[in-house]
Amino acid sequence: MTEAKVKDSLVDREGGPLVRMRFRPAWAYIEGIREFGRFFCETTFEEPELAERARLIIQEALENAVKYSIPGPRSELEFSISSDGKDLEISVCSTPAPEHLDMLRRELATLNASAPEAAYLAAFERASESNDARARLGLARIRYEGAMNLSLTEENGGRVRVTARGAL
Amino acid sequence: MIQLVDLSPPDLPDVHIAIEAPDTVKFTGTITSRDPAADLAPFLKRVHSAVVAEGLRRVNVDVSGLTFVNSSAIRLFVDWTTWTKQEPDATRYQLRFVSNHLVTWQKTTLMALKSLAPNVVTVA
Repeated sequence: MTEAKVKDSLVDREGGPLVRMRFRPAWAYIEGIREFGRFFCETTFEEPELAERARLIIQEALENAVKYSIPGPRSELEFSISSDGKDLEISVCSTPAPEHLDMLRRELATLNASAPEAAYLAAFERASESNDARARLGLARIRYEGAMNLSLTEENGGRVRVTARGAL
Repeated sequence: MIQLVDLSPPDLPDVHIAIEAPDTVKFTGTITSRDPAADLAPFLKRVHSAVVAEGLRRVNVDVSGLTFVNSSAIRLFVDWTTWTKQEPDATRYQLRFVSNHLVTWQKTTLMALKSLAPNVVTVA
């Protein structure tokens, strides 16, 4: 899409958050937030295909965060959508269990070492060869189907932020 | 011998599954549950067993009305492809996915399934 199609009144050109939500990591919230994110992107950017990409990214990123967050009152997700008018950024901050954090680091390093399509096909290959239900196709989908770069930032208190960023 | 058309699909809230004679399994809706394998894998395994027992050479997997899936649901189609791929020549059958080019997830996912098993998976 072209930058001109972005509704100026709805976008912070400095890239500040357009949406920010904080909530407990509960599966029951995913569908509602996903569909809100889709609606939000379709309304703000007037681009149905982008809205579909956002829907997929939100589903997979939230699923990952909800499944692997530590239990208890310290466990909180922060979800945001930002745009500077050129790129779209969707991020989820969570507190994962330590063993999951190691897995997440490895997974992102593996994914980012290959081109998106090659990493996506490799994830399918791995899924076909493994009985592990957590085949971790989700991150590969965000990168290839969602056409996003993925990064991981480690914050204080064991919190991590997974950020998907790509062109509008 | 159980035949494909005799199978009863599970009754699930967000996805409707129908068996259409003689060789089609049709999915309509979305699959985004936390553990779709718990709901669907046993049924798909029964479909696979029935197709093999019946000696069908092809199954149409109509996903044209399946508008959104999560990666755990994709995993089910990966497993089905693998079961079929691992069948001996005499009982191996073709999985023909009937798709809708307007549905975003299908373009990439079905391409990837085809690359996993080019002799088993076709996409229409």
